Amino acid sequence: MSQSRRAFLARSVQLGVLLGAGAPLLQACGGSDDERSQVSATIADGLEPEKGPLRIINYADYVNLEVIADFEAKYGVKVEISTIDTDTEATTKLASGAIKADVHHSMAGTSIGNLIAGGLIQPLNKSYIPNFVNVIETFNDPWYDAGAKFSVPYTFFGTGIGYRTDRIDPALVDSQGWDAIWNATDFKGQVSVLDDEREAFTMAMLRKGITDVNTTDQKVIDQALADVSELIDLVNVKVNIEGYKDIPEGTTSIAQTWSADLIAGAAGYLPEGVTDEVLGFWHPPAGDYVVTNDSMGVLANAENPVLAHLYLNFLLDNEVAEKNFSWVGYLPAITKLDADFVIAAGYVPEHLRSCVPTAEEIAKAIYLKPLGAEGDAKYETAWAKFTAGG
Amino acid sequence: MNPFRRRHGKAPVLAMVTWVYVLWSLLPVLVAVRISLNDGRSRSSFQPMSFRWYWGDPTASLLHDESMHIALFNTLKLAGLCMLIATPIGVAMAIGLQRWRGRTSNAANGLMLVPIVTPEIVFGVALFLVFSQLYTGLPDGLTRQLLGHVTFTISFVVVIVRGRLAAIGTQYEEAARDLGASRLQAIRLVLLPLLSPAIFASVMVVFATSVDDFVISSFLSTGASTETVPIKIYSGARAGSTPALNALATVMLLLTLAAVAIATIILKSIQRRGGEDPGITGGFAGLSG
Amino acid sequence: MFAIPGVGWLIAFFVVSVYAVMAVAFGGVDPFLKTSIPAWNPLEWDFTTMGHVIHEVFNGYLRKVFVRTFAFVGLALVGCIAIGYPVAYFAARKAGRHKGLLLAALVLPFWISYLMRMLAWTNLLQPDGLVNQVLGWFSLPDNRNWLDGDWYTVVIGLTYGYVPFFILPLYSTLERLDGRLIEAGRDLGASAIQTFLRVTLPLSVPGLMAASVITVLPMFGDYYTNSYLTSGSPRTEMVGNQIENYLRNTGQPQTGASLVLILMAMLFALMVYYMVTTIRQQRAAER
Repeated sequence: MSQSRRAFLARSVQLGVLLGAGAPLLQACGGSDDERSQVSATIADGLEPEKGPLRIINYADYVNLEVIADFEAKYGVKVEISTIDTDTEATTKLASGAIKADVHHSMAGTSIGNLIAGGLIQPLNKSYIPNFVNVIETFNDPWYDAGAKFSVPYTFFGTGIGYRTDRIDPALVDSQGWDAIWNATDFKGQVSVLDDEREAFTMAMLRKGITDVNTTDQKVIDQALADVSELIDLVNVKVNIEGYKDIPEGTTSIAQTWSADLIAGAAGYLPEGVTDEVLGFWHPPAGDYVVTNDSMGVLANAENPVLAHLYLNFLLDNEVAEKNFSWVGYLPAITKLDADFVIAAGYVPEHLRSCVPTAEEIAKAIYLKPLGAEGDAKYETAWAKFTAGG
Repeated sequence: MNPFRRRHGKAPVLAMVTWVYVLWSLLPVLVAVRISLNDGRSRSSFQPMSFRWYWGDPTASLLHDESMHIALFNTLKLAGLCMLIATPIGVAMAIGLQRWRGRTSNAANGLMLVPIVTPEIVFGVALFLVFSQLYTGLPDGLTRQLLGHVTFTISFVVVIVRGRLAAIGTQYEEAARDLGASRLQAIRLVLLPLLSPAIFASVMVVFATSVDDFVISSFLSTGASTETVPIKIYSGARAGSTPALNALATVMLLLTLAAVAIATIILKSIQRRGGEDPGITGGFAGLSG
Repeated sequence: MFAIPGVGWLIAFFVVSVYAVMAVAFGGVDPFLKTSIPAWNPLEWDFTTMGHVIHEVFNGYLRKVFVRTFAFVGLALVGCIAIGYPVAYFAARKAGRHKGLLLAALVLPFWISYLMRMLAWTNLLQPDGLVNQVLGWFSLPDNRNWLDGDWYTVVIGLTYGYVPFFILPLYSTLERLDGRLIEAGRDLGASAIQTFLRVTLPLSVPGLMAASVITVLPMFGDYYTNSYLTSGSPRTEMVGNQIENYLRNTGQPQTGASLVLILMAMLFALMVYYMVTTIRQQRAAER
């Protein structure tokens, strides 16, 4: 026995030396650390679209498959969609080359800056995107992409509270605001917060009257962590982004959700026999309202850049956007599709009008901005602590 | 009391415990299958039966949902290729390790055993990192997943085959050598046929392991085109899912059972010539040492 | 020699992969894309993140996660032994005519996807699912939300999932026990229970340990069972979830990789035990 153990140890030492010596070799054959830098050149004008297939990276169930089919028919190409669960996952997989795509369908405001600086997306040639005029004015020069050079907006939505009106009195939620979640002790196990390392803490900060939600002050973050952690014992809080199906199905009674979750829920996830009357949404007043939007872009190493531009243009068409919205439930940033229009067209019930951010709310909105590696790390660590059980 | 009387008790309590366990173990699966036949969207209660989720529903049923086809196809492709690659390497390794004398053989043995005792998440993370940082020339998710599966399953083949090798002993090969066969001939014509039950058992284990693998496939997946059935089931529970998911799982189950049945039939027919019944448990005897 | 391809493959894809984990754990991070910049040369290794993580594990928020993981695994192991030992014993020694059928039933879970079995449980554990319905028949409280994020759901899930992997190796061991020793015990006047406690059980200990180790090791890294069954409750978070989160959703892959290494270090003793005893058995069988 001792002989084999000695042999084993000797072998591992030999192996260690071998690996140490081999390290430079590994370094040589590993991917080189290119200096990544912002891409500056757009594609030329007037090019013909490629043959495809057009590869898209997107969240699951985040685009109407009928719209995809329409695009395929119009341009005679096939479309392939790769799904990702989180924005960071998308960035990681794109940066490492694990996924190759042409269109990034849902860039979050917090990462577009990084994608641009890291050279992962290319500037857009707007001559291929005449439908850009349909976009809501604010997005002509968004905070995350000066002059909208690299992106067009996809959908926008606000963060608020979604709940069951048949279990919780709307007047109660209106008067308590965010406290309604902390007070939902009657609904233990039926409460959730968004699975996002910023959103949950932002909610805690807003609840305490702090509007600078892009702070990197560790004390503020720690306090937010403590507040959110209270929910673990108070209400057995869950962490997910399934409010859009859980609230209609009734497994969740009150949750931090995005405004569009309720619209989508009303449209497609109500069980038989349940009307959309049971869905309610509350959000803070303009100025305290966090509005986020996802954007679309063309990847720097896209093999079908022209087709990608045409796809972006396609989605900004008023009718296509409306058709997409009717299934996805998230509002496209199209001027024509304001609250009056979508309610009159029957996509959104009147009592869920609050799910459509008004022009004033967009103008005064609070945005979640990227905070640099260190700042982001503070939130990520706080989030890891929260999910570890507080 | 006659001290020499043998008490071959029937142990009724133990019997009951065992059969209750079998029910507990298998009933939930039957329930899941039954739910796949629901006519409505419920995933918890039994609704009137129909094949809606298999082929009826025009968008969400198994027949019409493209992503489910992809998942099913990927799973079978991976499992098939994995069988073809891992089994020869594993059998060769088992034979080689058995004959390997000297101090380095322990290291090789240890190396072979480490994958069995390594938690899958370690595997998943390690493979993910190595493919994204070092072996970056392999963009295709399916290739990466295949390499990962093979790495993971070689050790099972080795363990199962070695168990059988130990039981066979070396006398048959030696007899063949004495009769003039070369070493290679002895192995090919004598040893391998004797090993065939173990080889079959390990093929089946590789198949089942690959089909069932979630962690490694998930970490190495590069998007919807490289999803496998376990990934689909897992992500389906978090998104708005329908009993179509149960239908997918049921179809996978039927395919696996069919594969096992076919393999067993082949095995039995070989055995009728060989004369022994090693059973799958022979393989697990190898696992437990 | 025949073993070369296998050994080569394992080195290329396993040993190097583990080395990659170390390189990432002790490496840096791209400031923009927050992807890992691994340090392949051991001389360049930076241990600050690892030191930080170790601190958190023993003194910080990760301690809770590790303790919880060990607790879940321990309880699930107890469940596996409590359920699995009687079943394995019965199948090995008492099954009689039905042995073949029983064995088939015990092997069957291997051919059923693990996730499908968990899927089945989520169906059953819904608030209006079968479990609550059955409880209602017995006038027990039938409105419990099992998928609430409670520890017992996870332990039940883990036990259910892993007990087949426990039973079969144990069965092989019990089957190979020398029956004459047991009969001798009975012949000498010991009761059934005494014989079991003083003959069978001690003889089965090595097999029991091996089966336990091989069941418990994968459980430590499990992250899908609990998140599948509780849809994201912080109260049941295990080490695997933290690892997955750090590697997939944050810009700190070094932390995730460090956690993987720490987990391996903790399981090292168990892993070595299994490998040593297995090699020893193999040598003995081949002598």
